[in-house]
Amino acid sequence: MNLKIADFFIGTFAGSLVALVVYLVLSTQPNMLIAMVLGGLIGMVLVMPLTILLMPFVGAFEVMIPLGIIGMGVGMTTGMLSAIPAISGYAVIAWGDLAGFTVAMLIYFSNKHLINQ
Amino acid sequence: MKINKKSYDGVARIFDFMRGGDMRRWGPDQRALFKNLKGRVLYIGIGTGQEIVNFPPGLDITAVDLSYAMLTRSHSRVQNYNGRIHRCQMDAQATAFPDNTFDTILTVCVLCSVQQPAICLKELKRVLKPDGELVMFEHVLSKNPVYALILKFMSHITEYLEGTYLDRDTVNNAEMAGFKIHSHKNVYLDIVKALRANH
Repeated sequence: MNLKIADFFIGTFAGSLVALVVYLVLSTQPNMLIAMVLGGLIGMVLVMPLTILLMPFVGAFEVMIPLGIIGMGVGMTTGMLSAIPAISGYAVIAWGDLAGFTVAMLIYFSNKHLINQ
Repeated sequence: MKINKKSYDGVARIFDFMRGGDMRRWGPDQRALFKNLKGRVLYIGIGTGQEIVNFPPGLDITAVDLSYAMLTRSHSRVQNYNGRIHRCQMDAQATAFPDNTFDTILTVCVLCSVQQPAICLKELKRVLKPDGELVMFEHVLSKNPVYALILKFMSHITEYLEGTYLDRDTVNNAEMAGFKIHSHKNVYLDIVKALRANH
């Protein structure tokens, strides 16, 4: 598979995985601020083994950078979303998917810009 | 964690596997950069010889590595190369070569691993001929603060796992050692770079 396409799949998958785990752990957390901090921490811890696992197959930096951003960013935002009682798990995971894909896309264009400099 | 020869020997068994993704990504950029190799070439940190497949044919290369296990694992790739590669076990920070020996010096992800990159670069300057060229394919610390934060954090892990630092300022180190960078190309973001420098 084209590695550039794989980057988008990995970003989307990592986003949904972080969102799912953060939602499962923090959906009963009523304090949004605490949920945000804990969500960021859970996300960072979660992407660490995923990064080490994927590095040999798709390249170290190409995994490390997006997953680092997704772990913290998606973890924090889904932590906050999880603290809202009216939001369903599906919506939180959908946000994780979208955010993961968006991070992958931003890095793709950032890379394109930098390598053409 | 202090990385020494034994640590590299330990990593040698899984080195090809760990670098598999990088090699798939970087092949075209390495082939483009390695076209600049000419004359008598010193290849610093041959490792298991993964980059040999990207070399143009017919070069006269002296390859060094600190680890005997790495050198042993490079054997088949060295044998299959259509040119001459002579291997030595040697520390890049203190080589045994006389001054002004090589026309080109190549480093591929080495200056992220040596304990003292500034000393290593000064040593490379010593053995490079005055009209020679230093060709580097290296990863460095990003100028983007978000990427830099991630790299600094991950550097603790990679340092422990395989003795690689992700927060080196190799461009600046090369200039501090007296090299003048005349070609600078980003390969991935502003982290992986293809660089060419001379005295």
